[in-house]
Amino acid sequence: MRDEAVLRHSNIWRPETIEDIQTKAELGRYRIRGFSALRSRVLPSFDDLTFIPCTLTRVPLEGYREKCSTKTVLGTRFAKKPLELDIPIMVTGMSYGALSYNAKVALARAATQAGTSTTTGDGGMLMAERENSRVLIYEVLPSRYGMNVHHLRMANAIELTVGQGAKPGTGGLLLESKVSDEIAAMRDLPAGVDQRSPCRHPDWLGPDDMILKIEELREATDWQVPIFVKMGASRVYDDVTLAAKAGADVVVVDGMEGGTGASPDLLMDHTGIPTLAAVCEARAALEDMGLYGEVQLIIAGGIRSGPDAAKALALGADAVYVGTAALIALNCNKPIYVEDYHKLGTEPYACHHCHTGRCPVGITTQDPELVKRLDIDEGAERVVNFFHAMTLEIQMLARACGKADVHDLEPEDLRALTLEASMITGLPLVGTNVVFAGGPGWKKSTHR
Amino acid sequence: MVRQVECTGKTTREINQEIRRLIGDGEQEIVVLRPQARHNLGVAVLQPVKLVFEGSVGYYCAGMADGPSVEIRGSAGWGVAEGMMSGTVIIEQNAGNSAAASIRGGTVVVRGSASARAGIAMKGGTLIIQGNCGYMTGFMMQKGTIIVCGDAGEALGDSMYEGRIFVGGSIAEFGNDAVIQELTPEDREFLTSTLTQYGITSARPFQKVVAGRRLWRFDKKEFATWREAL
Repeated sequence: MRDEAVLRHSNIWRPETIEDIQTKAELGRYRIRGFSALRSRVLPSFDDLTFIPCTLTRVPLEGYREKCSTKTVLGTRFAKKPLELDIPIMVTGMSYGALSYNAKVALARAATQAGTSTTTGDGGMLMAERENSRVLIYEVLPSRYGMNVHHLRMANAIELTVGQGAKPGTGGLLLESKVSDEIAAMRDLPAGVDQRSPCRHPDWLGPDDMILKIEELREATDWQVPIFVKMGASRVYDDVTLAAKAGADVVVVDGMEGGTGASPDLLMDHTGIPTLAAVCEARAALEDMGLYGEVQLIIAGGIRSGPDAAKALALGADAVYVGTAALIALNCNKPIYVEDYHKLGTEPYACHHCHTGRCPVGITTQDPELVKRLDIDEGAERVVNFFHAMTLEIQMLARACGKADVHDLEPEDLRALTLEASMITGLPLVGTNVVFAGGPGWKKSTHR
Repeated sequence: MVRQVECTGKTTREINQEIRRLIGDGEQEIVVLRPQARHNLGVAVLQPVKLVFEGSVGYYCAGMADGPSVEIRGSAGWGVAEGMMSGTVIIEQNAGNSAAASIRGGTVVVRGSASARAGIAMKGGTLIIQGNCGYMTGFMMQKGTIIVCGDAGEALGDSMYEGRIFVGGSIAEFGNDAVIQELTPEDREFLTSTLTQYGITSARPFQKVVAGRRLWRFDKKEFATWREAL
């Protein structure tokens, strides 16, 4: 007979902890999955901040009428041709391999229609992606899979990738089922291997080398296009300082909420720092160097909505990257083909099985039958709609704060809802007007 | 006619622009004088020209080349010919770390010795080292061939996917999953013809190192568990 007094769960040995140990007792290794951090403890996030719009002290703009610019220019430091985007929302690097052909092309078309950029990913340039992207950023990654100087010279910007938020300090992972003949050929790998990418670049190691690597990329492209440096959020203040000193036009910082197609799950849950903290440290670093505004800052990692993006902009970002959110707009985790989610042992709204290559909605798969489930133009339209919605949300918040340009959003437009967020951001806690600890701060930093 | 580019008093940018301008003018042979170990010289040369550096060069010389025939009459810094797609790069003396890193084609010849991580992540092409090579040579190599006429350092061929490494001298240590394989008659023929082409004679018997392929994928039992259990 069931006795509630006897049947008690431990807070230490919770059912999911027991299941985790028993799974690893079968596997003999760490667990691998896709998606993003799933840790049960909530991370400090943009949800811990609120905007304080205009009242008597400031005058708002008419929310539905007055102009509010969203134009975003990146790479003004050294490049002859900076990127000019219509919106401050960009598609982050996700490889052809991790994503299906249809997903890559849909994102490219969506980015072009929305007036923004897309990015290649760890596996080389898909020609259809180039053809469908007005602005394409070419990633130069540690693996150098598909690296091709001709493709490099076709790009509108180059992103020298040091790491990513989901798994800083670690290389990519693409499991057997997704390393199809075509993907293997593009990457010069044997088909069907579990591809474990390197975490270090083959021809440089530290920031001093990176100065030379950046110069090489500039020479190869005649100093025409901006060079981004992308990093997972770790020691952000120091890393951003080093990247800016090394000559980056744009620094990209990807917080621990960042997604991935496959990773040891412990890395997603237990490495890196949250995006909220990352943007503050990054801005402080650039301010301390006197380069804030000259070196542009892109923030990534778990950006879900206009409010997330607007808060990132207010804290110091020039633009945000979205990855997972764009895939969700494409139908990721949508309750269709539900029986196929169940076959994977998962279900809509809780699926993180990108790593299996059996994506029920045709996004993270190389199976031709599954890929057909994602219609390119319909998918692109959903992503465009989502980007438009995000843009309107950002503008709505900016106008309410009296800003005629979304890039004029500033820390003064925000307050912290929690003590923790106040300490991280250096923003006053609501109701107190007191900043609890300096954070790395949005004023001249006292970090060093 | 051979055209000369004098490096003294010029920036890397100016030297590379001059090289590009001469190539654009249809020059077939360009000699770069007094490179003084500058970095990033002759980057992304995409035409089948002859390019000679009369002296030592710094990092990434002839990086991302596609087609040229490059001679470096001295030593080269890190990442010489990195990412090359086709062509030939010959270094008369020694090469720093990561020589021929991640090349996809072409041939790199180091007449002296190469330092650590030579031929790292190679995706094709051939790297010939007439002397010795440093540790982690051929690390995570994917395709192509490395020939080391002298001795190989530690962690040789660590975590290779495919490709082959021939070593004429001793091997200090094998990397993870690097294994010895018997040379085939085709291998011997390839070695003789390739080395002869670059005027290299080696009487030493070569050993051949390839991937043991144990790192190619997780164990099948594990995979089944992974597929079912996660």
